[in-house]
Amino acid sequence: MSDYQLNRVLYEKARAHKMVDSIGPDELADYELTAEERAALAEGDLEALFRLGANPYLIRRVFRHKFAV
Amino acid sequence: MATIVAACMTSHAPNMTATPAAAPAQRKRFLAGLEEMRRRLVAARPDLVVMFVNDHVQNFFYDNLPAYCVGVGDKHWAPRGAAGFLKIPERQVPGASDWGKALLATGLEAGFDLAVSHDLEFWDDVSVPAHFLMPEGTLPIVPVLTNCVAPPLPTPKRSWALGGFVRRFIEGRPAHERIALLATGGISHWIGVPNTGHINPEWDRWVLDTIAEGQGEELAALTWSQIERDGGNGGQEIRNWISVLAAVPGVKGEILTYEPVKEWLTGCGAVWMQL
Repeated sequence: MSDYQLNRVLYEKARAHKMVDSIGPDELADYELTAEERAALAEGDLEALFRLGANPYLIRRVFRHKFAV
Repeated sequence: MATIVAACMTSHAPNMTATPAAAPAQRKRFLAGLEEMRRRLVAARPDLVVMFVNDHVQNFFYDNLPAYCVGVGDKHWAPRGAAGFLKIPERQVPGASDWGKALLATGLEAGFDLAVSHDLEFWDDVSVPAHFLMPEGTLPIVPVLTNCVAPPLPTPKRSWALGGFVRRFIEGRPAHERIALLATGGISHWIGVPNTGHINPEWDRWVLDTIAEGQGEELAALTWSQIERDGGNGGQEIRNWISVLAAVPGVKGEILTYEPVKEWLTGCGAVWMQL
């Protein structure tokens, strides 16, 4: 499974300079994502996003407030 | 032939400006190093600076992601949309379009399949170092971008070859041109990954000492895996430094400052090459 769509979600948030704690289903209608990817985005689950192939720089930029440091 | 009048490297990190109250003692010492670099850059009187930097997935996404790219715009945003976050005023810095296009064309002829961009928006990669080193925003910048953030990455060996090509290109330019080379990025940092915030001062010191001894080519022998293990995913930005080192091979470096700043999540160094 490609991580392209997952990264596209994060890239488009980052390009809009949005920092969020969660990206819910209402924002994801146009993306082809697995249930696991949707759950990771909804929960802002940093480790799951990384494991699923999200670019670390995009994770950091979009979910910045969820990092301990 | 044109002259390389300055060659230097510095780390970049958004928190250098985004969190100005953090780590005051380390911040003061690191910025003193950058101030010394700024003073020397001014004294070198360059006509333009070639900046070896990396995108942070702001210009290039997975739909079109070059290994190497030359910025040939008349100006570059540094910063634009990130201005609020970085706490740096939005501004455009001048490019050097003809010079960049010549570098691009000559590179293609020499077998370096560079991509090209006429419109670049920078984050901390250019904006933060330029804020401290070129606050007046008048020195034209030719950005040379290396993919350091979205694997698979070009090899350090290839970045060394690219730096050597840039040196040869400069040697073929008109004699009156005075060129500065500046790399940003590194040294060790783990960013956006499960151990975000980790720094490896031991590796940073090895990198700096290797450069100080004029042995920069040793860095070109590093593999992606070695850098990922010892320098973290952010350490992959050392490719930018490697290209500058290749442009001044054998030259020894003077370490202006080194601070492993936890609050900046980065082992921060600044080096001036003793041309």
